[in-house]
Amino acid sequence: RHGRAAGGASGARSFPPRATSVAEGGRRRPEIAEGARRACAVWVPVMAAAQAEAGDAHPVMAGAAGPAIGDLGAAGHAMGDLGAAGPAMDGPEGGAGAAVVAEEPPKPPALPGLRLVQQGAEAHVYRGLFLGRAAVAKLRVPKRYRHPALEERLSRRRMAQEARSLLRCRRAGIPAPVVYFVDYVTNSIYLEDIVDSVTVQDHIYSVQKCGNDTSGLHKLGEKMGELLAKMHDEDIIHGDLTTANLLLRPPTEKLDLVLIDFGLSFISGLPEDKGVDLYVLEKAFISTHPDTETMFKALLKSYAATSKKSGPVIKKLDEVRLRGRKRSMIG
Amino acid sequence: MERTHRLELFPDRSVTLLLFQHVKNAAALRKKAMEGSIDGALINPAMIVDPFQILVAANKAVHLQTIGKMKTRTLYAEIIFSLSPSNNISDAFKKFGISDSDTAVLIVLVVDGDKTVNLADIASQVEGQQVSLDELPQLTDTAKVKKMYKVTPQEEKIGTLLDSVVCRMSTKDVL
Repeated sequence: RHGRAAGGASGARSFPPRATSVAEGGRRRPEIAEGARRACAVWVPVMAAAQAEAGDAHPVMAGAAGPAIGDLGAAGHAMGDLGAAGPAMDGPEGGAGAAVVAEEPPKPPALPGLRLVQQGAEAHVYRGLFLGRAAVAKLRVPKRYRHPALEERLSRRRMAQEARSLLRCRRAGIPAPVVYFVDYVTNSIYLEDIVDSVTVQDHIYSVQKCGNDTSGLHKLGEKMGELLAKMHDEDIIHGDLTTANLLLRPPTEKLDLVLIDFGLSFISGLPEDKGVDLYVLEKAFISTHPDTETMFKALLKSYAATSKKSGPVIKKLDEVRLRGRKRSMIG
Repeated sequence: MERTHRLELFPDRSVTLLLFQHVKNAAALRKKAMEGSIDGALINPAMIVDPFQILVAANKAVHLQTIGKMKTRTLYAEIIFSLSPSNNISDAFKKFGISDSDTAVLIVLVVDGDKTVNLADIASQVEGQQVSLDELPQLTDTAKVKKMYKVTPQEEKIGTLLDSVVCRMSTKDVL
């Protein structure tokens, strides 16, 4: 992934090797619950030993395990993290039973007026009042099939990326929810709730059902293009652009857009990443909203007009279009 | 007059805010706060845009106290530190704590649910007039706040000053 300098990590810690685990070929045992607290001591040498077997002298380097081990070593407070995560994980897992690697849903926060909005694969989204304001609480769903240390790192990284992108958007004048509170223990984030908002997805559905407001959709496409251009000019890649992740503040006619769900976002200046970002949106449009080609065209036109760096991006978009599934690579 | 809010995520803790104007003994109060003899956080109201800002700081401080990861030594110091956009603790105190020449003071108390807040005790130590939290906007120095939190002009178009401030406070340690 992002090459983490594992320089200081190798040799910083040495754990007693577990021969039995290596003999299994490093296969994970289902009783992760018991192993979780001792994860540092048990699993690291498994991977280290496996890689040593593979002839790699530095156990910290290659593979997906690399960042995890590097992080564990370099961070220095990894044990503390796992310790903090331990009780949080052991609770629900104790209930689930040791043998079953079940995905326990996170406990809902005790917010007044709490309503479950969505149960996604990544997170459970709730609405409620937080410190007297309408807020959205996103609680990450822990993935039990992942190694606990990796899960912890990934969850935290995603949350940090989301918070960072939201702040970056705000600083650049790109409408996004305000971050109220980030909880690194339960990996949950509390954001501003855009009250009475409508997703662009629902808006397009209702407009198409009524069938009389096509010029409005054209204008909406233009505004979307403008907004995305601004975002990409700040080198913010959303990562999950769909019409469900764009909200319209009330009143809908004002076309006051707000971008949400930056969980998969990252910072990049590459036209490739921006092109892919737009491609994801295009695919979302094609699959969810029939007869919106003109709207998307307007979006791209306005994107090209607003963004200073749009030339290479649109070029890349054309290239990416040719790459996709069921596409002939000839010619 | 004063306002109390129960922290949703920490149901056994409540935050009470008291605002005082025409304060004459700011220097003495500051000294008491430094010694730890005042059981509350003394904050400069000029840097506060809305009580929500205090609640966000208090929530974060209580959270960090609960998991044992406070950066400062007391809960009240942590509240003041959470308000600041910088990671320098003494700077936070300088800018958000009260100074000897201040004439207005915002006091923040965090109490465990059942214990009754001894407001009279606190109020008696302040040589000033307690006023309603509704007066807070008049005491805010908007220009100073904008400068302190480095609010950009584009940002002002998409939200309130409070939005910008709260966002920075809550994402301070992620960056």
